[in-house]
Amino acid sequence: MTVSHSDTYAIEAKDLNVYYGGFRAVRDINLAIEPRKITALIGPSGCGKSTVLRAFNRMNDLIPVARTEGSVTFHGKNIYDADVDAVEVRRRIGMVFQKPNPFPKSIYENIAWGAKINGYRGRMDDLVEESLRGAALWDEVKDKLKESGYSLSGGQQQRLCIARTIAVKPDIILMDEPCSALDPIATLRIEELMKELVQEYTIIIVTHNMQQAARVADYTAFFTVSPDRTGYLEEYGETSRMFTSPTSRVTEDYITGRFG
Amino acid sequence: MTKSNRTSVQAFPEGQEYDTYVKRRQRKAKTWHGLFFTATLIGILALAALLLDVINDAFGYVAIQSKVSESTLVGNYFKQQMLDARRTLTSEDDQTLVDNVATRGTAVGFFGYAYYASNTDKLAVVAIDGVKPDAATVADGSYPLARPLYVYTTEEILQAKPQVAAFVGYTLDHVNQAIGDIGYFPVSEADLAAARQQWQAAASNPDEAATFSGEILSVGSSTVTPIIERMAQDFQANMPTTSVIAESIGTDAGIRAFCLDGRGDLLSASRALTQVEEAACSKEGRDLIQLVIANDGIPVVVNPENTFATNLTLDQLKQAFTTAETWADLDPAWPDRPILHFIPGADSGTLDFFSAEVFGTRLEGQSATDLAAMLKIALSAGRVRALESAAPLNEQPVAALIALARSEIIKPTGAGSWSLFESLTRRAEIAAEVAAMPDTELQFRSWINKNFLVNAQSSDPYKAGINIAIMGSLWVTIIAFLMAVPLGIAAAIYLEEYSNGKSRLDQIIETNINNLAGVPSIIYGMLGLAVFVRFMSIVTSGQLFGYGDPATTNGRTILSAGLTLGLLILPLVIINAREAIRAVPRGLREASYGLGATRWQTVWNHVLPSSMSGILTGIILAVSRAFGETAPLIVVGVSTFIVVRPDGPFSKFTTLTAQIYQWTSRPQEEFQHLAAAAILVLLVLLITLNSAAIYLRTRYAKNKQ
Repeated sequence: MTVSHSDTYAIEAKDLNVYYGGFRAVRDINLAIEPRKITALIGPSGCGKSTVLRAFNRMNDLIPVARTEGSVTFHGKNIYDADVDAVEVRRRIGMVFQKPNPFPKSIYENIAWGAKINGYRGRMDDLVEESLRGAALWDEVKDKLKESGYSLSGGQQQRLCIARTIAVKPDIILMDEPCSALDPIATLRIEELMKELVQEYTIIIVTHNMQQAARVADYTAFFTVSPDRTGYLEEYGETSRMFTSPTSRVTEDYITGRFG
Repeated sequence: MTKSNRTSVQAFPEGQEYDTYVKRRQRKAKTWHGLFFTATLIGILALAALLLDVINDAFGYVAIQSKVSESTLVGNYFKQQMLDARRTLTSEDDQTLVDNVATRGTAVGFFGYAYYASNTDKLAVVAIDGVKPDAATVADGSYPLARPLYVYTTEEILQAKPQVAAFVGYTLDHVNQAIGDIGYFPVSEADLAAARQQWQAAASNPDEAATFSGEILSVGSSTVTPIIERMAQDFQANMPTTSVIAESIGTDAGIRAFCLDGRGDLLSASRALTQVEEAACSKEGRDLIQLVIANDGIPVVVNPENTFATNLTLDQLKQAFTTAETWADLDPAWPDRPILHFIPGADSGTLDFFSAEVFGTRLEGQSATDLAAMLKIALSAGRVRALESAAPLNEQPVAALIALARSEIIKPTGAGSWSLFESLTRRAEIAAEVAAMPDTELQFRSWINKNFLVNAQSSDPYKAGINIAIMGSLWVTIIAFLMAVPLGIAAAIYLEEYSNGKSRLDQIIETNINNLAGVPSIIYGMLGLAVFVRFMSIVTSGQLFGYGDPATTNGRTILSAGLTLGLLILPLVIINAREAIRAVPRGLREASYGLGATRWQTVWNHVLPSSMSGILTGIILAVSRAFGETAPLIVVGVSTFIVVRPDGPFSKFTTLTAQIYQWTSRPQEEFQHLAAAAILVLLVLLITLNSAAIYLRTRYAKNKQ
């Protein structure tokens, strides 16, 4: 796993360690994400892949006991530097969560709120439509924008959350198992959507589903955990290569279903 | 996989053993079920008993005793007016009245019909509103001065003296045949038969054919005397060994003689005795039996020379016997000659009856002049001057004068009170007890009533109200609310959303708040006393803002009490708000942060709206706690007796709970009823508050989905 450091990467973690209190959840992660590509983070439960994902937009800051060491470079700047505002980082690096979590507001408000709090001055109707179209939801909801976000199905809610995220124009979208609560058809639609979005955005996705990673990801990072070592990055590379000829034995065992 | 190769299966009981185990397990479950049910039942019963006890005390009979009854007040006033009228001669002997009217041309008078009937040639009867007394107008009640005449006796007399029993029996049998001769009007056969039945029962079926001897003494009304005399005459014709003596002394004097002195075998009365009079007789051992023997229609008579006054209206009749001095005063067409009055005396039942029928027995309907006169007679000169400070009494409105007469003369006061349970189960006993009290009325009273809600505190439990206490409670609660809610919510937001719980200060705050919620409320009272009442008295008394007199003000104000209660409920608001904020799903916060929202934007736009129902519920519960608190207020210095409505945060005050506490500690029974009524009001207010909390919770819960 030789990953060279370059400014052309969308975001790059260097010697990243995250602690929860005294417990080190991930250790010495070095990971450079290619721009406008889908990168999948896979691995068994507890390997720290979600923690790494959340380290990319300082979401771990919200957990009082969490502590981060190392650097994450974004646009040539370490986002953990003291002069960097975490709020600004999160606006640039959006996030979609495991469980669809629309606001208890109307569909329109769900999209508009993020733009509003970030000082958007353009025509809100246009932004809402553009975002909903971008998330392939417009045709389904254009007649009921005033209805509650909760009135949508699970898959629609998740696409609403994606629309909400792209409405604030981030550079990177982090997705934390976005399809784990959805049925296969809804999952497929999200995956199609991801392939469209990647034209404009860098996407990092955490998934438990190996086929999903194989289907959508350009790059795959395999994290694992062992009794003597906490979560670490075992192997990282192009998905096609990793699924056909993994360099690591552990990766091969995991991919072929022998553990995990 | 058979059983035999799985040893673990064999460790479970089988067959009979298993059945026993299952049964034992079910028995155990039933026992627990029963225990839980019993516990619930006991709890509910205890609450129901509490509520019933309060309701029991909040309603029930009360005895309202007047210093003087309305009918006595009005009756005595007009009787006196008649007695004091110029050129009035009174006599208990109706014959004297007859003789005078018959010989004086400008005379007017009234007495029993019998005296008119036997002197029709010497007297002229006057129609009242066009109606003259005769058998028909008396029987149908169209003649306004018609009345029954009575004879009273007792069971003991009838049984001890057979000659009395025989005489009464004879009278009831024969009175109607002779009544026309005597000059009165017959009672209906049905009434007579009823009287006869009563007599028979009391005298234990007397032998009417037997012969008797001995004296029979009748005392009382001169109006009834002619009937007694005539019946005696007939009776003695058959029983010459008996002698009947009729003493004509007037009804009132007759009652005194018969009941108090125990004189006489029969009491004749030209009016029915009042309940109080009967009760007074019972007390002296005379349980009266009332027998109606005739009807009278009191004639108003003039001298036959008087040809103009053939008809008087009721108003003219009133004036004729009181204010009018000449006949011309009644009608300008009539001669200007003085009216001479000949009327029965003060002890006469006839005068009582005439006054009651002509002038009425109620304050309503009397003129301002008469009402003012009643007040002037009854009250001291000083009191009258005080009442006339605004306007002379006779220029004040009638309604005001009536109210004055009630509050100044009749002065109804409580003479006894009973609980709801007693009122329902011992109704007859209570009624009898009250009937024996003079001028006393039994009323069913709801101690919660309009006056109770609008009146101020009073030392008279029948006038005391909770208005000022409710106002005080509201003021204090509002101030507690204004203090505790913003501080409490702000603190909850800080602790939940900003504090990471790691710093020493945060940990101290955290521990303190949880402990403060468990501190006894009296401690808050002492804190309030020390800090708000004493230390900050210049602020809490309002002196700093120019309220009150610096020499007398102190910090025992609504503001101090409100701030104390605010402190008391602050931990409750914080704890409840924290719970509500903590219950907001993490996903909602993450969604907000994930969009680049600041902490404040997240809290304001998502956390607060989502937790509002929980926060509101906590606030309402805290407010009802403040509303129902007593101990700290007593320490802070609630006024024990205050009749001034609080007008701001620097007022002295009392609260509903303090009022209840104060009433329950009073010895008089009436205040216990007041306390119960106030408790019911408090309960209703608290239940309303709590229902509002439940409603808000369900409404917001619905909105969230």
